[in-house]
Amino acid sequence: MSADVELRNVSVMFGSFYAARNVSVKINGGEFFSFLGPSGCGKTTLLRAISGFQDPSEGDILIDNKDMSGIGPNKRPTSLIFQNLALFPLMSVADNIVFSLEVKGVSKKDRRKRADELLELIALAGQGDKKVHQLSGGQKQRVAIARALAIEPQVLLLDEPLSALDLKLRQRMRTELREIQKRVNITFIYITHDQGEALTMSDRIAVMNEGELQQIGACAEVYNNPLTPFVATFVGENNPLYGKVKEINGSKVRIETSDGDFISTINENAKLSVGDDAISFVRPESLFIESDRDHFDNKIIATIESFEFEGNLKNFYASLKSGLKIRFSVPNALDTSSISSGTQIILGFESSKSVILPKAALAID
Amino acid sequence: MKPSHTINFMIGLYIVIFFTYLFGPLLIMSVTAFNSAEFPAITPWECFSFRWFSEGKIAYDGQHLAGLLSDRRLHDGLVSSLIIGTGVVLLAVPIGMAAAIVLTQVRSQLRDVYYSISIMPVLFPGVIIGISTVVLWDRIAGLGGEGLVAEFGRNGIFLTILAQTCFISTYCFLIFVARLQRFDQTQEEAALDLGATQTQVFFKILVPYLMPAIASAAVIAFLASFENYNTTVFSILSDQTLTTVIASKVRLGISPALSALALSIIALTIIAAVTYEVLRRREEKRYVASQEKFVKEEAADSRVDKDYKAGFRIPKGIVAVILLIILCSYGATQIVKNDLYGQSCIDAADKIKRAKFFDQLQTLESNQLTDEELQGGDLGGNQDYGDIFGDPNLFKDFGGFD
Amino acid sequence: MSNLLFTQPFFKKNGRAVAIYFLVAIIFWFVFLVIIPQLYMLDLSFRSNVPPLARGGPRDFYTFEHYQHFVFGSKSSIDAFNFVALGVFGRTIIVSIFVTIANLAFCYPIAFYIAKIANPSTARLLIVSLIIPFWINELLRSFALRILFANEGVINNVLTGIGIIDQGILFITYDVGLYTGLIYAYILLMMFPLYNAIESLDVNQIEAAKDLGSSTIRTHWRIVIPHAKPGIVSGCTMVFMLTVGALATPVVLSSPNTLWFPQLIYQWFNMNDNWSRGAAYSIILLVVSVIFVLTMMKLFRVRIGEIAR
Repeated sequence: MSADVELRNVSVMFGSFYAARNVSVKINGGEFFSFLGPSGCGKTTLLRAISGFQDPSEGDILIDNKDMSGIGPNKRPTSLIFQNLALFPLMSVADNIVFSLEVKGVSKKDRRKRADELLELIALAGQGDKKVHQLSGGQKQRVAIARALAIEPQVLLLDEPLSALDLKLRQRMRTELREIQKRVNITFIYITHDQGEALTMSDRIAVMNEGELQQIGACAEVYNNPLTPFVATFVGENNPLYGKVKEINGSKVRIETSDGDFISTINENAKLSVGDDAISFVRPESLFIESDRDHFDNKIIATIESFEFEGNLKNFYASLKSGLKIRFSVPNALDTSSISSGTQIILGFESSKSVILPKAALAID
Repeated sequence: MKPSHTINFMIGLYIVIFFTYLFGPLLIMSVTAFNSAEFPAITPWECFSFRWFSEGKIAYDGQHLAGLLSDRRLHDGLVSSLIIGTGVVLLAVPIGMAAAIVLTQVRSQLRDVYYSISIMPVLFPGVIIGISTVVLWDRIAGLGGEGLVAEFGRNGIFLTILAQTCFISTYCFLIFVARLQRFDQTQEEAALDLGATQTQVFFKILVPYLMPAIASAAVIAFLASFENYNTTVFSILSDQTLTTVIASKVRLGISPALSALALSIIALTIIAAVTYEVLRRREEKRYVASQEKFVKEEAADSRVDKDYKAGFRIPKGIVAVILLIILCSYGATQIVKNDLYGQSCIDAADKIKRAKFFDQLQTLESNQLTDEELQGGDLGGNQDYGDIFGDPNLFKDFGGFD
Repeated sequence: MSNLLFTQPFFKKNGRAVAIYFLVAIIFWFVFLVIIPQLYMLDLSFRSNVPPLARGGPRDFYTFEHYQHFVFGSKSSIDAFNFVALGVFGRTIIVSIFVTIANLAFCYPIAFYIAKIANPSTARLLIVSLIIPFWINELLRSFALRILFANEGVINNVLTGIGIIDQGILFITYDVGLYTGLIYAYILLMMFPLYNAIESLDVNQIEAAKDLGSSTIRTHWRIVIPHAKPGIVSGCTMVFMLTVGALATPVVLSSPNTLWFPQLIYQWFNMNDNWSRGAAYSIILLVVSVIFVLTMMKLFRVRIGEIAR
């Protein structure tokens, strides 16, 4: 059973400091929803507000269309997985998992049965009597999840649960979490600063910065059509080209920069007028080394500075005539032996792959 | 730091002197427990005997000096001490726990003040706490008329439990504060999130975590209560605890029974300490073994290099122990050689002393001995200055009392 | 109200039953066991000495007489001041200061040695050896000293046996026993704060000082001691207070002519049955202790969280 979660104009203040400001979002039952943003953006605060550990200073939180104000964390249909997992060190694995049943007064026999079921689910069958400190990082993760699911909550909240794991484990856990979610059909609300995680796991994501919601939408939508320069540069890598709007033609806009004129696409929600300061964004993977057979809307001349081998991608760092630094990436399979530091090349990109936005702050690396 | 050799030697010498000063009196006292002489001494060595541990003796002057097993006042005092100790533990541990937990919940600005108030009792002289408890409850008893209140207000055991709880709660408080500092608050939140009520969180999460602290607080509280004197001597009124009985021996007479008592306590303490250490080592070994097993299970051929010797180390103190054994054997052979043990020895010594005593008595009655010679500071009796613990003229009441 | 004192609403955070337990325990402790008795004793010290039945009646009135008596003596005495009481008081304080300083001087080298010079296993052994004597009750330890120092005690016996002296040295009468006992009694309370404080000093600092040519004395004076200051203050405070308020050791080791101040209190209380006067003297003792602690804290700028038990 899953439930909708709705935040209506929720603000959380500490003193006069807004940890979250005027956040409104409707999360659908059964959805895998992620809050994405840098540290301090307010995502943890929102999570705690939804789970009941923090009262919102303004606004309402509804779960399954019921107002949650005044209802404590132990009475909400939510389960929270803490960043440090918060497993109970003095209890066995099985006791940890069925703790939520124990406090409700479920009999020892029934608890045992449920524990065995859940241990099966997380592939730790027969290890119920171990102590928590005897488990590996990945195993502890799974115990935390099992513990949260034991009482069959309507909403599962996850606070950056994978941040302590190494890369391979993290990738594996991402798939596992997704599968678990599909299987138990519970609303998952996930917070992370890792946009790769958010994109691969979620149905929809919400990007946050400094307490405010920047954009909500499906992953591809947010990636391909960012609404603000922050979103454009936080979610994935992006190259900003600064300039002034010269001409608007429906959804196509011409921007004039010190490195030339470019044509980009404008998002229907963005507002731009001729003469405005604007930034045109183009992703590294959308820049192609021009050859005779290609025909791109935009061309840009760049001088290669350095190169980085990432495995499946080759990342090149180059500088433009104006001194602006850009990067572009090329699949490893492509032959780039003719390019080296100092080489001057021409890069091309499509206007449909370039988004133009009003000038605003970028995500700082 | 590697100081030069002379400094090293000086420091070593200093340490030896220091520890001699620390242990010397106790060792000497322990030895005197086996000398049958009436005043604890090593020389002259009368007879080797265990009598101060059991029956004591009736001196030639009729004065009864009880041994450990026959000293009824000591036993009564011991029982009272145990009752009081239990009472204090039952009060001070919950109080200390409550105070420590609330410390974590108070606003940071108030925390210093709160902490200072909690520490305060330890900064009061013990006598003050004892006196203030007595006077307060005396007044309460006075107001309370004839009933239960008056009974309690003048009961030494009740008052001592209250007075000791006052500052022993602080000891418990400090122990709990230390343990709480490393408590992971998110566990409480996790429990709440899983549906536990606040009360359930307290009993299922916090208290189990605090168990080790509860245990050590209880032990510390009991020991602190047991060995307390300054406060107890005022609050105990007409009762006695073990410590007040011991203190009263200054007045009633210092005998080697005291040494016997001290030695028994030393022995018990050492046994307790050794047991504790052995148990702790074993627990540690078990924990390390389980960790090792886990690590080996996880990583197939990782090399875990632990130079942790799980065996029993031979301490360097073995030298001192061997020395002690040699000394004891020498002493033992000397004693056996000179026939300085057993009942025959004691009887012989008694005869000599009895004769000497009657001579002295005659001299006393015929001449006037000076005050100087009557004082002595050994069998007890501080004569001047208000007779605080003094009992003038011990010799006046010979002929048997007690 | 709750939000003024606590970070979260008190009853909500703890659940009703547990919250009540906390409140009861803490109020019982602070109010009934700590504050009210002291207040009452303060009150009593200002009242005339009347038997329990007459309390609250006409004969019970407020007066300074007990404090006056402390300073000036009874009305019938010829002396200008109460030399006896003042003498005892003065001696107690002065000797306590001397004992504290001696304690510090004796313990410092050992603490430094254990903290910095000895290797870990030796250090552990030494620490354990330090603790063992203090498991024995203070009274029994004092008795051990008494056995040594008495006129017919072990020391005198050995000395006369060897032939160095003819008659026993009056250790007890001349207070040698008492002073030795007092220095002996609270060594642990000086040693551990010192040890903890010195231990936290980075050895490299000492090495650096030596490298730069500093003599041993200067190294200690300029580097070790300032770092160990909280430990020194803590140790001195505890030792002074316990010495000033000591009863067990003086009971056993003091001679008839020399009293320790708490013994005086005991006398007024239990021998002369003058509780008001005993209360007054107790207040004086308490004030001395508090003043000393506060002075130490102010002088050396150390905060109250310095008790290391």
